[in-house]
Amino acid sequence: MSTETSRFGRLTDSLGLDTDNEWPSVVRERLVSYGLLGLYVFVVWFPIYYILITSFKPTSDVLSLPITFFPHDATIQNYVDIFNNRPFEMYTLNSLIVASTTTVIVVTLGTLSGYTFSRYDFMGNKALLLSIIAARMIPPIALIVPFFQIMSQPPLIGGITGSLYDTRIALILTYTFFNLPFAVWIMKNYFDGVPESLDEQAKVDGCSTWEGFVKIILPVAKPGIAATAILAFIFSWNEFVFALVLTSSEQAQTLPIAVSLFVADDFVDWAHLAAGGMIAALPGILFGLFFQRYIVSGLTQGAVKE
Amino acid sequence: MTESQHSLRRRLDKLFVPLTVGPTLLWIAGIIVYPTAKLLWSSLFFTNPITGAKEFVGLRNFRRLLLGDGGSLLNPNFVSFTWHTIVYVGFSVSISFLLGLGVALLLNKDLKGRGWLRTAVIVPWILPYVMSGLMWRWMFQAQYGAINGVLMQTGLIGNKIAFLSDGTLAMMALIIADVWVFTPFIIIILLAGLQNVPEQLYDAAEVDGASRWSRFWNVTYPFLKPSILVALTIRIIFDIRALDLVWVMTQGGPGTETEVWASWLYRTAQVFNKPGEGAALGVVMLAVTFGIVAVLYKIFGETPYES
Repeated sequence: MSTETSRFGRLTDSLGLDTDNEWPSVVRERLVSYGLLGLYVFVVWFPIYYILITSFKPTSDVLSLPITFFPHDATIQNYVDIFNNRPFEMYTLNSLIVASTTTVIVVTLGTLSGYTFSRYDFMGNKALLLSIIAARMIPPIALIVPFFQIMSQPPLIGGITGSLYDTRIALILTYTFFNLPFAVWIMKNYFDGVPESLDEQAKVDGCSTWEGFVKIILPVAKPGIAATAILAFIFSWNEFVFALVLTSSEQAQTLPIAVSLFVADDFVDWAHLAAGGMIAALPGILFGLFFQRYIVSGLTQGAVKE
Repeated sequence: MTESQHSLRRRLDKLFVPLTVGPTLLWIAGIIVYPTAKLLWSSLFFTNPITGAKEFVGLRNFRRLLLGDGGSLLNPNFVSFTWHTIVYVGFSVSISFLLGLGVALLLNKDLKGRGWLRTAVIVPWILPYVMSGLMWRWMFQAQYGAINGVLMQTGLIGNKIAFLSDGTLAMMALIIADVWVFTPFIIIILLAGLQNVPEQLYDAAEVDGASRWSRFWNVTYPFLKPSILVALTIRIIFDIRALDLVWVMTQGGPGTETEVWASWLYRTAQVFNKPGEGAALGVVMLAVTFGIVAVLYKIFGETPYES
C-alpha cells in the first residue's frame, strides 16, 4: 500500500499536481497519456497490419473492392509462391551470409579497438578516434560512384579473383564501411563505463594483457557486444542502396532487392510483394520484440555521449 | 612457465595496441579513405558513356551541376532538386522531432507497461526501409490502398485520390513515410536524454512554483540539449542521403516533382551513366553535410562526439 502511495506521490509530484485533493486529475492525466500513446501505437502498427493481411490474401481478394481490413479467406499461398517461382531461398541465404559475416567482422574489430581506444593513450589516439567518427558522417550514397568503380574494376582489390561486382564479398566489404565506425564508438563508450580496477585486478592476478582482456574484460562487456552485434546485423540485413548498385543476380542479391523486384513498371504484384516484405521484415520485428533493450542501449551509447 | 613463453607473452603484450587498433585502422583506410579520395578524383573526370574513355575536365562537372549548360544563371534542375530536398528534409525532420519529443515525454512518465509501449514504438525503425517504402506505396495506392479505403469507407472523401500522381501529394506521402520510419529513432535518443535529468531539479522547480512550460524550458531542455543535437544531426544527415524511401515510393516522380539530391545522384551516376557528374554531386553532399553538422554544433554549443 505504502509503495503504491509513494509511486502515485512521485507521479503527482512530477506532474506538478496537488497530492492531497486532486486524485481524479491524476487519473485523468494517466488516461490521457495512455490514450495518446495508444493512438500513436495504433497508427504506427496499422500499415504493418495492412501489409500482413495483404500477404495472407488471395490475389483476387487483394484487387477487389471495397477494401477489406479483416482477412476472411486467409491463405499462405503467397509465401509458397515466392519460394517456388523465385529464388527466394537464395535471397534469404545471401541476406543471412552477408549480414552475419559483416556482424562478425564488425564486432571483432570494433571490440578490440574500442577497448584500446578506451584504455590506452597512444600516439594520435584522439585524432584517430575523431577521424573514425568523422567517417561515420560521410553520406554513404555520395560514395556509390567510387564503390561501384572499385567493385566492378578487377585491378585493385579484386585482382586475385576478378571483379567483385555481384558478389557477397562486395556487400560484406561495403557494409563494414557503414558499421565499423559505429561499432568502435559503441564499444569505446561501453568500455569507458567498465571500471579500470578490473584491469588492474587482472594484472595483480598475473594475467597478461591479452589474458586479462579475454578472461576478465570480455565477459563484462557482453551486453555492449550484444548491442553492437544486433545493430550491425539489422543495418546490414536492411541495406538496399548499395545492394542495388553492387549486385545484379540472385548470386548476391539480398532480400530488400528481392522485395523491390516485385515492382514492375506499371504493375505491382502486391500480394507476393507483401509476403516477401514480411520475410524481409522478420528479423527486425523479432529483434525489436525480444532485444529492444540492447538496441536502445546500443543506440544511445553509440549516439549520445555518456 | 618457461623463459621463452614468458618473453613471448611480454612481446605480445607490447604489441597489444597495434594489434587491436591496427586492423580497424587498415580496414577503415581501405574502405573509407580510399573511396573518398576516389570520389574527389572521379569528380574531375568526364566518362564517355559509350566508349568508357575518361577525360580530365577539372571542375567542369561542378560547373555543369551548379550552373547548367549555359543560358540561365543557375542550373534549374539544381535549384529545383535542392528545393525538394529542403522541403523533404525540413518537414520530415521537424515533424518527426516534435512528434518524437511528445512521445518521449509521455514514455518518460511513470506508466505501467512502459517497456511494452517502447517496444511497440521502436519497430518501424528496424524494418528494412525498402519494405517500409513499398508498404507505404501500397497504403497510398490509388485504387486498393488502405488510405483511400479508410477515407472512402468512412465517407470523408467521395472520390479516390491518386496520391502518388500529384507532385505535392506525393511529396506529402514521402514525408509521412519518412516520419513513420524515423520518429522511433528520435524517441529513443530523447528518452535516453530525459533519463539524465535529475529528479530533484523538478522538485525544486515545483517548490518555486514554475509552470509546466517553464519547467520544460529551464529544467528539461538544458539536459536534453546533447540528445537533441545528436538526434537532429543524424536525422538530417540521414534524410539528405537516404534514397530507399524515395526510390521505391515515387522514383522522384511524378515527372521530377519529388526528385531529391539522393535520387538525382543515383539517376545521374547509375541510370544515366555519368559517374563524373554523380561524383561531383557526391562531393557537394559531403560538403553540405559537414556544413550542417558545423552549424548545429554552433547552435547547440557542444561537440557531438566528445568523450
